[in-house]
Amino acid sequence: MMISPSLVSVVDDDESVRESLPDLVRQFGFAAEAFSSAEAFLASDVVSETRCLLLDIAMPGMSGPDLQQELMHRRQRIPIVFITANGDSAIRPRLLAQGAVECLIKPFSEAALLDALNTALRMR
Amino acid sequence: MAESAETTSDVLLESSLPAAPLESILCTEELQRRPSRPPDYEKENRALVKLVSALADSPETILQTLAHTILEITQGDSAGLSLLTRDGKTPDVRGDRFYWPAIAGMWTPHVGGGTPRDFGPCGDVLDQDRTLLFRHFERRYHYFLPVTPLVEECLLVPFYVAGQAVGTIWALMHSDRRQFDGEDDRVMASLGKFASSAYQALMHIDDLRVQVAERDKAEAEVRELARGLEAKVRRLVEANVVGIVMWNLEGAITAANEAFLRMVQYDRDDVASGLVRWTDLTPPEWRADDERAVSQLQATGVFQPFEKEYLRKDGSRVPVLLGGALFDRSGTEGVAFVLELSEQKRAEEALDRARAQLTHVARATSLGVLTASIAHELNQPLSGIITNANTCLRMLASDPPDVDGARETARRTIRDGNRASEMIARLRALFVKKESTTEAVDLNEATAEVIALSSSELQRNKVVIQSELADNLPTITGDRIQLQQVILNLLRNASDAMLDVHDRPRQLLIRTEQEDGNCVRVTVRDTGVGFEHQSMDKLFDPFYTTKVDGMGIGLSVSRSIVDRHHGRLWAEPNDGAGATFSFSIPRGPETIMAAAPALGH
Repeated sequence: MMISPSLVSVVDDDESVRESLPDLVRQFGFAAEAFSSAEAFLASDVVSETRCLLLDIAMPGMSGPDLQQELMHRRQRIPIVFITANGDSAIRPRLLAQGAVECLIKPFSEAALLDALNTALRMR
Repeated sequence: MAESAETTSDVLLESSLPAAPLESILCTEELQRRPSRPPDYEKENRALVKLVSALADSPETILQTLAHTILEITQGDSAGLSLLTRDGKTPDVRGDRFYWPAIAGMWTPHVGGGTPRDFGPCGDVLDQDRTLLFRHFERRYHYFLPVTPLVEECLLVPFYVAGQAVGTIWALMHSDRRQFDGEDDRVMASLGKFASSAYQALMHIDDLRVQVAERDKAEAEVRELARGLEAKVRRLVEANVVGIVMWNLEGAITAANEAFLRMVQYDRDDVASGLVRWTDLTPPEWRADDERAVSQLQATGVFQPFEKEYLRKDGSRVPVLLGGALFDRSGTEGVAFVLELSEQKRAEEALDRARAQLTHVARATSLGVLTASIAHELNQPLSGIITNANTCLRMLASDPPDVDGARETARRTIRDGNRASEMIARLRALFVKKESTTEAVDLNEATAEVIALSSSELQRNKVVIQSELADNLPTITGDRIQLQQVILNLLRNASDAMLDVHDRPRQLLIRTEQEDGNCVRVTVRDTGVGFEHQSMDKLFDPFYTTKVDGMGIGLSVSRSIVDRHHGRLWAEPNDGAGATFSFSIPRGPETIMAAAPALGH
């Protein structure tokens, strides 16, 4: 039986992130899917397969934290690594307290991303 | 007729007895037939001289004196005057009856009585325009019946003023002890002439009295008015709300109130000594203005208010506004009011300082917001660059190297790098500019930049922004950064106003358009909480805010920026939810510059 790589889903309204981040994640050896909004992710058929969410905080429509709440309601325990371009560091402890694995401030290093992904996947 | 004769009994008498015809009671012709006394000219002259001196000494009693003189000269039983009157007590040639102002002899008690003009002996005399002698006139004129003693004979002489009959003099006999004769007729004619003079003198005196009374009254009114006016002027001077100074054109200050003295720091003694001259209070550079004021005074009697400075006693200066007038246009003395402008100037400066502070705070606040936006906008492409570069390295390092993938990620790296660089260029456009510059501003471009810089914040607030930028929008002349601050402020306000909106879309429409009258308008419309009509006036007041964490300075500063561009900033509640804020800037300055080519080369 073949073991498929863990699926990491990227949800970000920024196109350059959707283009670049999945490639890097794949280079790490994971599978990757990109979505332009929280709604698009929820509507997809990969929610239950997703082992880790790389989730933007500020998005039109449903925000990252909104999606986090929604998943908790649906009892979908997907480890979440928030990514934000907003340099406001005050938001990080709050998100971690609400159960996020990590909160990466853009631009983040390759190592920081890999650490966060590994932590998230170990939680499963 | 006598006042007592105007009773009902007279009516009865008149109705019970037929009135005798006039001819039956007249016997005038007998005067010449009767044996006459020799003329006594000496007596007559004495009497006339006495009358004339009485007229000069005591004109008020001249009629009574005349009555006595008639009595004395005619040796009658009674004598007196009848004057035409309307009110029964003052002479009036238009009167419809006679009254008796003076009587001597037995009829003295009847003073004040009188007879009708058209039915009585006096009227008959005036009608026939000559002296008449009556006998028992009560037979025709029954109203004399109660007037006692009854009259045996009555000699009546008319007298005139300026050809108009005014009255009669008369002498009466109450018995037949003597009859009037030709001499009486002659003397009475002479006395009649005197009566005319006396009457004129009395009328003249009356006129004088009226005139004097009127003049006294007018004078009293003027005095009263002057007293009131003086009190008001004194109140004005002593209230010391404005400086009041009296002066002459030669440069002297003749009087000044406390307020003026306080302004220039001199005291009353300085003014009294004559050492304080307004010419010396004026600093040299204001002398020309003083001279202009003086020529205005000489031309028109007043000088229009103007601003200048006074030198105080200690040499410092006080800015003032003064205006004034000559008391008399052809004179050299006048008064001026002087208003100290220091307080006003200080207030203006304080206001300017406050405004500058506000602008600074607003700038700092919007800069804080901007910084966050900038960080966000820059971090996005930077993040892409780093991620792509990492991916690229990994693709090249894999075995075999994924050259195509690496090429693609490298291309994306370059694109994100360009994106960051564009962002920085945009920021430079925002920040490198000097404090205030005037240039041609494309409000479409300016608006688009502000939208780009705020888009992440708007997204975070879940605001859907729609922009309708007009094609071929003309440029305006102004300060691009300041105008962008205004747009940014309106966008932020609109966005903040929708934070509490959960039951409808948070829609923000920003529109640019060309207005009639060569203006460009920017409109920002939201679906937020809006504002009450009654708070519309307050919206633009500094520190008025409806936001929990707002300072309430954004709109006030925005309005001052728009004002500086000679534009207009206003707000309207929407028909539906939310509010619409608009500003419009005229393209004016260009036209002004074009209209003044002489200023160029």
